Amino acid sequence: MSDEYENKTGYQAQSSETISSGGGGGSGTVPDADHVRPAEIPEQDLYHGHSFITKWIFCQDAKVIGVQYFLLATFTGIIGLILSWLMRLQLGFPEAAGFMTAEHYYQFVTMHGMIMVVYFLTALFLGGFGNYLIPLMVGSRDMVFPYLNMVSFWSFFVAVGVLLASFFVPGGPTGAGWTLYPPQAILEGTPGSGMGILLMCISLILFVAGFTMGGLNYLITILQARTRGMTLMRMPLTVWGIFTATILAMLAFPALLVGGLMMTLDNVLGTSFFMPTILKAGEVLEYGGGSPILFQHLFWFFGHPEVYIVALPAFGIVSDLISVHARKNIFGYRMMVWAIVGIGGLSFFVWAHHMYVSGMNPWFGFFFATTTLIIAIPTAMKVYNWILTLWRGNIRLNVVMLWCLGFIVTFVNGGITGLFLGNVTVDVPLSDTYFVIAHFHMVMGIAPLMVIMGAVYHWFPLVAGRFLDEKLGKWHFWLTFLGAYSIYFPMHYLGFIGVPRRYFEMYDSPYVTSAVGMNEFISVAAFIVGAAQLILIYNIIRTLKIGKPAGHNPWQANSLEWLTPSVPPEHGNWGEKLPVVHRWPYDFSVPGAKEDFITQTTPPSEVAETEVEKT
Amino acid sequence: MSDPKIEGYEFKPGFKGMAQDTGSDQTMFKGVHWGKAMMWIFLLSDTFIFSCFLISYMKGRGSTLIDWPNTSEVFSLHVGSTPVPLLLIAIMTFVLITSSGTMALAVKYGYEKNRKMCGWLILATAIGGLTFVGMQAFEWSKLIHEGVRPWENPFGAKQFGSFFFMITGFHGTHVSIGVIFLFIYAYKTFKGHYDEEKRGWFTTMKGDYVEIEILGLYWHFVDLVWVFIFAFFYLW
Amino acid sequence: MSSMSEKEQSTTHKIGIYLWIWGLLFVLSFFSYMVDWYQFQGLLRWSLILLFMFLKAGLIMAFFMHLFWERYALVNVLLWPMTAIGCFVFLMVAEFQYTVFTRLFYFVVGGQ
Repeated sequence: MSDEYENKTGYQAQSSETISSGGGGGSGTVPDADHVRPAEIPEQDLYHGHSFITKWIFCQDAKVIGVQYFLLATFTGIIGLILSWLMRLQLGFPEAAGFMTAEHYYQFVTMHGMIMVVYFLTALFLGGFGNYLIPLMVGSRDMVFPYLNMVSFWSFFVAVGVLLASFFVPGGPTGAGWTLYPPQAILEGTPGSGMGILLMCISLILFVAGFTMGGLNYLITILQARTRGMTLMRMPLTVWGIFTATILAMLAFPALLVGGLMMTLDNVLGTSFFMPTILKAGEVLEYGGGSPILFQHLFWFFGHPEVYIVALPAFGIVSDLISVHARKNIFGYRMMVWAIVGIGGLSFFVWAHHMYVSGMNPWFGFFFATTTLIIAIPTAMKVYNWILTLWRGNIRLNVVMLWCLGFIVTFVNGGITGLFLGNVTVDVPLSDTYFVIAHFHMVMGIAPLMVIMGAVYHWFPLVAGRFLDEKLGKWHFWLTFLGAYSIYFPMHYLGFIGVPRRYFEMYDSPYVTSAVGMNEFISVAAFIVGAAQLILIYNIIRTLKIGKPAGHNPWQANSLEWLTPSVPPEHGNWGEKLPVVHRWPYDFSVPGAKEDFITQTTPPSEVAETEVEKT
Repeated sequence: MSDPKIEGYEFKPGFKGMAQDTGSDQTMFKGVHWGKAMMWIFLLSDTFIFSCFLISYMKGRGSTLIDWPNTSEVFSLHVGSTPVPLLLIAIMTFVLITSSGTMALAVKYGYEKNRKMCGWLILATAIGGLTFVGMQAFEWSKLIHEGVRPWENPFGAKQFGSFFFMITGFHGTHVSIGVIFLFIYAYKTFKGHYDEEKRGWFTTMKGDYVEIEILGLYWHFVDLVWVFIFAFFYLW
Repeated sequence: MSSMSEKEQSTTHKIGIYLWIWGLLFVLSFFSYMVDWYQFQGLLRWSLILLFMFLKAGLIMAFFMHLFWERYALVNVLLWPMTAIGCFVFLMVAEFQYTVFTRLFYFVVGGQ
């Protein structure tokens, strides 16, 4: 194997030359102000694939792995989207959905939820954007453990395979709802109570194992493999968001793993971890003495940090997009960082606000309502800072900026309904109604999705070297944004009139008459929004063939990922020499500067006359 | 480990040093090998796994209305005809601590580049671990013989059997994985892979005695978990 | 990374400290075994079990895992997340007490 490693001594000699140049050697022209401490760590040895298989399939390059994650997550996401179409068909036009039984409906609800939260959003943000952007943004050659990184993706691949396999086993996938609450999840009568739930648990355990491998990579790369001059407080907020989300994932997924394992044992071996004494059709089952609420605690000890695993990368990415496209430094960078970290820390102390009506210890309501409302403080700080970044900015109203603005609006909307649900007394009547559906789809479905779309339009020129089409992008944005609002805004009203969630049909209830028309409207909007995503796919395919070439740093951004010697970046990212960082990535429109941006690698001596921030 | 020397970087002690390290460029944990940092973060994650197991156990045991079996009777061994409470568990604890001690010494001798001593100590650790797993297998078979199953328990609450087999099983899996790696590392040490900086099988990194410390961290963690299991499961 | 650890190698610890900690761990394990041997009950048993447990855990982490000699940046990162565990434990104690209460109330008291 050793002959496959390229000798990097050439690189090393290069970098040590730049080190000595700080002291006046080398080229002899580097002023003292530009001096950056020499490298602590020798060059990383990389494995360069030679065949098609080692270059594109079992690849150890984080960028390829990132794209692999992105594609596979998008594929599962499209399955989730189709499932939501089927659900909306049943709710809006039950007569057209005659092929669907109640069991099908529950299975679709469950799989839609699980796919979207775990296999789509988590994998896309951390696996996709994380893998692609972290090494580029912190200035390393690759992730620190490339082999482990590859295994991480293939573990995710197998997890998706097992998940989708559950559609084809007897009984079908589990229909217990994405929260998988026992005892019903593994009792006969719930769809997929045998094989379905088993495969779901196995798939989740595989996902957690794979994610742990990836997560270790992201964390150690950020902590231990930054380039010279890159301090933590000079990292783009994207990296901060992904970093904090990864920490959350590393500490929250264990609870899911334990819960999933215990439920598997309940299911397969007949243990009674979560199963109380159950009387079924006059017959006492074997189970006894278990604690169903324990699963809920374990699940939500994972589940609430999971919300922020999805949200924090979105917060980080949108901060960068807004700053670049408003040509203004991010307002309150340090505040933004501490808000991200604070939200991450607090997210471990709020989990039971999902359980107000579960019959837990009553005084928990007070504790968790308090901690939940405290989280609103750093979140609101972030929203104000985004708006203040836009304030008097030199805004380029392109597609990326549109998605960012869309995000702010949706996020504020979803966040405000969160205040309702965080309070116990208000939550109790709203629990398990469409109000909840509207809330979490707004805040952790549509809002992060807007950021993903913005990020796709923003970083596509980096990945593929070509611009996505703006006109098609605008169609895509407006259809998605207005359509998503038409879906979820009326749902608040449905919730207020008491329409319960997870109901296959409304039967002869008094609110049927007022809800029927609205349900039809929502369904139509959902079909349109889903179909509108085809515009993006078309746009991507078209761009790959005839898109406008982007060239170097097309957005005039400052952060390192745009400063690679070749676009798209090659394996090893930086060619001969690693970049040296002198500032944060937000020096836009600096007074006195020649251009309206100063890249992170611009040495201080070149911008001596400008009023740059000290970072 | 005293602080490593890094060109152009002056170490400050204590909390000032913490702030300075955190705020510096390139690395946050100064002089810490990538693999070692990874192992620490992994162990943190694993701590959460075992904590969740033990918390579940606490919740399950605390809320059952059927009496929990008396562990010092259930886990007693007969010496002659007198039952000695927790005898096997005590021996297992001593074996595991012994192996932890030999591992600590192996790490020390590894850093001193004492290849022979390091290899033998790793081998001793592996044998200690194997003994532990063997005794656990004996304990399991004894309980199974007495009629304890994951789904039932003749001595009282059902959850006793469930939690016992699950938690000790999960810990035993960790021990077994550790033993496998100990044997591999003993082989690699004797072969001199760490002296020659030979690359590992799946990694692009050069071999180094720091890998012994990384494995040592894992092994001590397994011991650490057993301390908690011993206290909460057997002594409660 | 190899050049870095070479510098580390010059500074290992005397064998005495490991043997001391080893001995202490044996003694503490013996003590915690004695807690069961003498069948202490109630608060005394709990405080002794927890005391010996945390002492053992602390010794292993501090000396065998070298945390005592590591820089605070690492120690800090490792210890903060334990607050989440602490909170989880604390709340689950309250939860199991409440579960027992409801079970006694509805199944035992209510059954009579």
